[in-house]
Amino acid sequence: MTTQTATEAMAAVRTRESGDRPRVRRRRDGVHIGLTVWGILVFAFLFLPILVMLVYSFNTGRLLATWQGFGLDAYVNAWANPVIRSSVVTSLEAALGAAVLSTILGTLGGLALARSKARTSWVLWATLLLTITLFTPEIVDAVSMLPWFVSLGTDFGIGVFSNGLVRLVVAHAVLSVAVVTFIVRARMQGMDEALEEAAADLYAPPLKRFWQITLPVASPAIWAGALMSFTLSLDNTIVSSFVQVPGSTPWPVYIFSSLRVGLRPEIAAVSAVMFVLTLIALAVVAFVLRRSGASTEEMAKTLASA
Amino acid sequence: MTTTATASPIGGEHLDGEGVDGRRAAPGSAPRRRRPLRSRISGTTVAGFPTWAFVLFFFIVPLALVLWYSFGYKPDLFSAHANDKLSFDRYAEALDATFLGTFLNTLRIGLLGTAICLVIAVPFAYWLAVKLRPQYRALALALVLVPFWTNFLVRTLGWQIVLSPQGFLSDALQGLGIIHGNLDVLYTQAAVQLGVVYNYLPLMILPLYVAMDRAGQPLREASADLGANRVRTFLQVTLPLAAPGIASGCLLVFIPLMGDYVTASVLGGAQGNMVGQLVASQFNTAQNWALGSAMAVLLMLFIAAAVVVVGGATLIIRFLVRRSRRVDLTKGAAA
Repeated sequence: MTTQTATEAMAAVRTRESGDRPRVRRRRDGVHIGLTVWGILVFAFLFLPILVMLVYSFNTGRLLATWQGFGLDAYVNAWANPVIRSSVVTSLEAALGAAVLSTILGTLGGLALARSKARTSWVLWATLLLTITLFTPEIVDAVSMLPWFVSLGTDFGIGVFSNGLVRLVVAHAVLSVAVVTFIVRARMQGMDEALEEAAADLYAPPLKRFWQITLPVASPAIWAGALMSFTLSLDNTIVSSFVQVPGSTPWPVYIFSSLRVGLRPEIAAVSAVMFVLTLIALAVVAFVLRRSGASTEEMAKTLASA
Repeated sequence: MTTTATASPIGGEHLDGEGVDGRRAAPGSAPRRRRPLRSRISGTTVAGFPTWAFVLFFFIVPLALVLWYSFGYKPDLFSAHANDKLSFDRYAEALDATFLGTFLNTLRIGLLGTAICLVIAVPFAYWLAVKLRPQYRALALALVLVPFWTNFLVRTLGWQIVLSPQGFLSDALQGLGIIHGNLDVLYTQAAVQLGVVYNYLPLMILPLYVAMDRAGQPLREASADLGANRVRTFLQVTLPLAAPGIASGCLLVFIPLMGDYVTASVLGGAQGNMVGQLVASQFNTAQNWALGSAMAVLLMLFIAAAVVVVGGATLIIRFLVRRSRRVDLTKGAAA
């Protein structure tokens, strides 16, 4: 379903770009104004809590929600707090690992799905499998992965699964592999196979074909997928709180557990920094995608339809 | 599957050649012969094998394990589960008044939240896809994505500050004389409702936008040319064509919402008991994996049932509406 939307989005953009229909007259009447006002209100709604968090990160008070004065204390304190630092580092490490793992797996999966006959039974099974992972409530993922990691680590003696970071990486990759797969599939389905065939006709061996043709063509989708899985991993709270091991608490779980003891402005400060980092990551990916020739709108839609 | 993996390099080249031939043949021509298995599995097909194996091993196997645990029991205080006697007792135990009450509460929040998201997102997506000037559209889409990419716990905490009784909104509303006394929304059902609508709104907007965009200007113009006014064009052209987007948006909002308990515990406090919390506490605090597993299985079944019921009802309503206002063009043609 998600892939369909992505493919269609790209098709829609293409028709619009190539079409030379006369531009329709845009009416500026009550309906138009009403919709515009609604749009602006929705944006205000979407950004209100984020702006509030950014502002309150400069709160010098002891508690986050009670404003006392303006200052950078929260940033300084957050930097000096080893628990906060280690949780942020854990989060970034897990996100990076999960992004790499799910991007590799998702790219392979997406290519396999795009390049095989749509009605083959294994394609349907694989699609079904991935769709189920997308539509399982997170709490169910969480309670099923915890016992499995415990069994793998202790009963089967595979010690690596007792490592908190490995658990986080694997669990987050499970949650995002379907997203990457579907983005890559959408991109490759929209692409003509003639390029690969031409390479084959010119006697390029399969691996060379893959590195020099398939991968560059798929790269916008791969980058988009990597970014998606990176942010999904940074965002993840429920599954992380289950599979984590003491000593490798990721950042959202740290916030969640400090809810009970009272929230301090340091949380807002770190969140503000991470917000800026996310924007930078977005911009980098947008830059990469643009260099590979995607239009801005197509790009936004590739990301949107995930 | 394993044998095909070892045979991949040769098999891969072989089929890629065949694939070219297959495409050169006229489309939809003679019935295809079933080729031997090895030539039907190409290099790219095998490429997906690690992915399916990964998902099977780290997703399906754990799910199956939960299903298996749900038939067991908690033997004593110090073990989480035992499966030497199998029964449906945990399901009977799980379906007590607390679980059902919490589930119904969660269901209400979920359905209402999905409906509110839909009501907010339909005009918004329409504005984005139809009314907004194309040069601003990419920026607007990016702006929708930014909150989606901010940590959702952090966004929810932002609402906690906004709604807090001593917060600025409370002061402002009191200053304007709209409310008397402190704002009393935080830690109520209303706050939970607001929080989930906020957190899942982008997931509704994006598929709706894509779907409305696909409905396309030519069709709307055609509808206008045929004499339909704007309301009618919207109701009979844009909206029906956006239906798949609406359906996927509703699923993308409803299903994660039903399993979410973080939003509720931040904004609802003691009032925010969602069913996900019950499942979690069986694993975290009660250490009763058998009962927790049964609850998790029930949660999935109930969500699936809710989707089927609501989806079915929507389809029936759509069918009835279409039937009641269809202009029958096929009557003459069918003869």
